[in-house]
Amino acid sequence: MNDSIADLVDSRTGRQSRSIYASEDIYRQELERIFGRCWLFLVHTSQIPKPGDYFRTFMGEDDVIVIRQKDGSIKAFLNSCTHRGNRICRADRGNARAFTCNYHGWSFSPDGALSGVPLENEAYFGELDRTKFGLIPVTKVAEYKGLVFGCWDANSPSLDDYLGDAKFFLDVWLDAMPGGSALLGETQKMVLGTNWKLPVENVCGDGYHLGWAHAGAMAAVQSMDLTGLSVGNSGVDLDGGLSVAGMNGHMVLSALDGVSGYAFYPDPKPILEYLEANRQTVIDRLGEVRGRQVWGAQVNITIFPNLQLLPGLNWFRVYHPKGPGQIEQWTWAMAENDMPEAVKAQILENQCLTFGLAGLFDNDDGDNLTACTEQSRGWRTAQMDVYTNMAVGRSGKREGFPGDIAAGLVSEHNQRYFYRRWQEHMMAETWAEVPTYNINSLTEQEAEHA
Amino acid sequence: MLDRPLAPPPVEVIVAVTQALHREARLLDNEDFEGWLAMLGKDVSYRLELKSRRFRADRSPPLPFGPGVIFNEDLGRLKMRVDRLKSGFVWAEDPPNYIRRAVSNVEVLATQPDNEVRVHSVLVMHRNRIDGTTRLLTAGRTDLWRSEGGAWLLTAREIVLDHSVLPDSNLNAFF
Repeated sequence: MNDSIADLVDSRTGRQSRSIYASEDIYRQELERIFGRCWLFLVHTSQIPKPGDYFRTFMGEDDVIVIRQKDGSIKAFLNSCTHRGNRICRADRGNARAFTCNYHGWSFSPDGALSGVPLENEAYFGELDRTKFGLIPVTKVAEYKGLVFGCWDANSPSLDDYLGDAKFFLDVWLDAMPGGSALLGETQKMVLGTNWKLPVENVCGDGYHLGWAHAGAMAAVQSMDLTGLSVGNSGVDLDGGLSVAGMNGHMVLSALDGVSGYAFYPDPKPILEYLEANRQTVIDRLGEVRGRQVWGAQVNITIFPNLQLLPGLNWFRVYHPKGPGQIEQWTWAMAENDMPEAVKAQILENQCLTFGLAGLFDNDDGDNLTACTEQSRGWRTAQMDVYTNMAVGRSGKREGFPGDIAAGLVSEHNQRYFYRRWQEHMMAETWAEVPTYNINSLTEQEAEHA
Repeated sequence: MLDRPLAPPPVEVIVAVTQALHREARLLDNEDFEGWLAMLGKDVSYRLELKSRRFRADRSPPLPFGPGVIFNEDLGRLKMRVDRLKSGFVWAEDPPNYIRRAVSNVEVLATQPDNEVRVHSVLVMHRNRIDGTTRLLTAGRTDLWRSEGGAWLLTAREIVLDHSVLPDSNLNAFF
């Protein structure tokens, strides 16, 4: 299979075989080598604040429960009874002292231990070794400043190393202000008939589609110019933003004006006041480049393989694959804890308006991604390629930033790195064969003084 | 507001409000958005809250800023959504999609002030899009309608959507 994977993607020229969006065999290999190997986002600590709080999510197609422990730590387990495999929790979230299986009544405590077995003495004759039937824990669980990730592969790098230089950008949300971050609202869940890679690709680097695919929404709600983009794709300004990649498969798009994240708020005034009032604090904490130019700007951050967050527009999203041609897309609003209550409420409100289930922008993307997936299933189309060959070879170092950087938000530079990472994982038998790279990494001192 | 089953509204009111619900569904099916907006009060509130699936016994507190919404619109925001749909740039709606609404289970209840009624109804929305993709969405609605200048105007609508995962790629549609 590795020979064929080598042919499916050419990240130098920007070519992908359409079969990667349609093939069942490739999908099964993705579940093993990408979702079974990478660190996957599970929950934000703000979503399970108290002991016994739990949140149900997925790692690939594996259903997991993430539970806050008595000691404040967080554990995650397969949501599957160790007796006959039934799902033990059918709720989205909540607080529980125990999880009891609906089938035969086995119950498990929040630390995963098998705590109760009906008829244990009468039917098992007291011979069941409960210690061998605890819930199956996720191999590794780790947190980075509020973001909790899980990983099935014992040989993976640490979460810190996995995130690499993407932390430089993650900190623009997670650590800009001393109070840290939170996710707001219930999970906004939508089924889309797309391969999981297409929405990731769309948000990781595709500034090209914004002015065209979302022209109707931009015409209706835009309250200020978004540097680098225009309605109807009639013009583009490549000086106003960056496409940043080459960070272990993670990618960032960033405008550099410090305010444009809020360009799609009908009334951005309260948030602009918050940004102005706290700008110096953030500059002191993160340096001039991130504090003045990135914090508040339109920023798209992609953590490989399936997490995307847009500080500024303030939506946070994971894509759960459900076969080669389907996903569930889960979205929340994201806020900084230091924001005034009214600003947080406005962020939740505006995130729902723009990128919610009836989101003015979000509702433009689903059919495009679905059709790209369907147009890879034909006898003829499955033999064809698609291209991300815009601005090839026009990237390099940019003062003050890590990564291999192309100018502007309109480029296909990031998508090429996304598919390169996909290919690196798919060809590797083990983590040891997956290359690690943080191109143009800044020294700690450079990052602080940038 | 409690339902007041004691004195039902006059049958003329029940007929007029029920007809208004049917007319509203027809205008929306036909994409007569201006006609629909004209049926809304200036102070209209149009809401659809997010939900989560929770165990009945679960006692965890409400989320700090509430569940979030799918719709939380006033007249200005509904007009903005209509502006987007009419911009000519919403490619998902061109060619136009087949959409049909059936209104059912209508209960018209008297309330205060006298020129308002509270209305429960069920909406079944059938959407047939693209090359035959078909989705059936159902929702419960609780409305306030007000008699004003000889017409019944919708002044409040609380929508409950019966899907924990939205089974469609957009909601370019009103309930």
